[in-house]
Amino acid sequence: MKILVADDSRVMRQIVIRTLRQAGYDDHDIVEAEDGRDAYEKVQSEGPDLVLSDWNMPNMTGLECLQALRGSGSSVPFGFVTSEGSAEMREKAADAGALFLIAKPFTADTFSEHLDAVLA
Amino acid sequence: MTAIDAGPRRRAGDRPPAVAELIDEATVTEITEQAWLALVGEDEVLVPLPAPLPADTLSSWVGITGPWTGTVVLTTGRDTAVELTRALLREHAPEVLEDEDVDDALGELANVVGGNVKAVLPGPSALGLPEVGATPPAGSPADTLRVDVLWRGQPLTVSVQSPLHTEEENEVPL
Repeated sequence: MKILVADDSRVMRQIVIRTLRQAGYDDHDIVEAEDGRDAYEKVQSEGPDLVLSDWNMPNMTGLECLQALRGSGSSVPFGFVTSEGSAEMREKAADAGALFLIAKPFTADTFSEHLDAVLA
Repeated sequence: MTAIDAGPRRRAGDRPPAVAELIDEATVTEITEQAWLALVGEDEVLVPLPAPLPADTLSSWVGITGPWTGTVVLTTGRDTAVELTRALLREHAPEVLEDEDVDDALGELANVVGGNVKAVLPGPSALGLPEVGATPPAGSPADTLRVDVLWRGQPLTVSVQSPLHTEEENEVPL
């Protein structure tokens, strides 16, 4: 299984990857993307089983990336990991086809709760 | 204070709400503590005590635009910012940290704290991308909520600040 982690912060990508390991997903391949556009391209080239994406990113936001993916016919499972978890954003995420939205700060338990169903 | 600088969303005569009417120090402290425990480490407690910041500081900030518009600013000593970066990167921290790494780490902390502050404020509102530098945007001294904490004994402040609404407003950078 392969997980694509998209965040413009390298530090946050490391924290997400560390939390994935803590949540027990340490045998998955991890691919990193540094913004939404990079994530979009790497979904095409790497074929991940799940995308974990920040929302606010330069070049292309996470939401724009998800919309572009769905527009291109990709149905890759997609979840947001973002510092904003308002009801409005959760609704936008769900409407665009996201499976979940994990608000930062998060714990390994939060990851397990949302990812087990996707990666089991 | 004039009606002109209140932004296009407001009718003439409306006044933006003061930050203290929207969020309190205890909430900002709790948000910051949660960010530290989850991101920096589960033993990384913040002690709510004021202490003078050193001369050489680094700040990170994110803007919030909406019914309340302003900035959430984190400020700490440059050395503490480096230590924070090492704590966040843990075993992935290189022997010599680049400024870029420190900016990234401190910026991301402002992003997480700012995002959670935004969630408490009235919406809908938008969060900007984090910025980092020695001089954060000037806020209105009379309309700023500031929390002082110690992390590993070193001072760190979190300010939720409305922009200046005076003739000094041209001092607000970015």
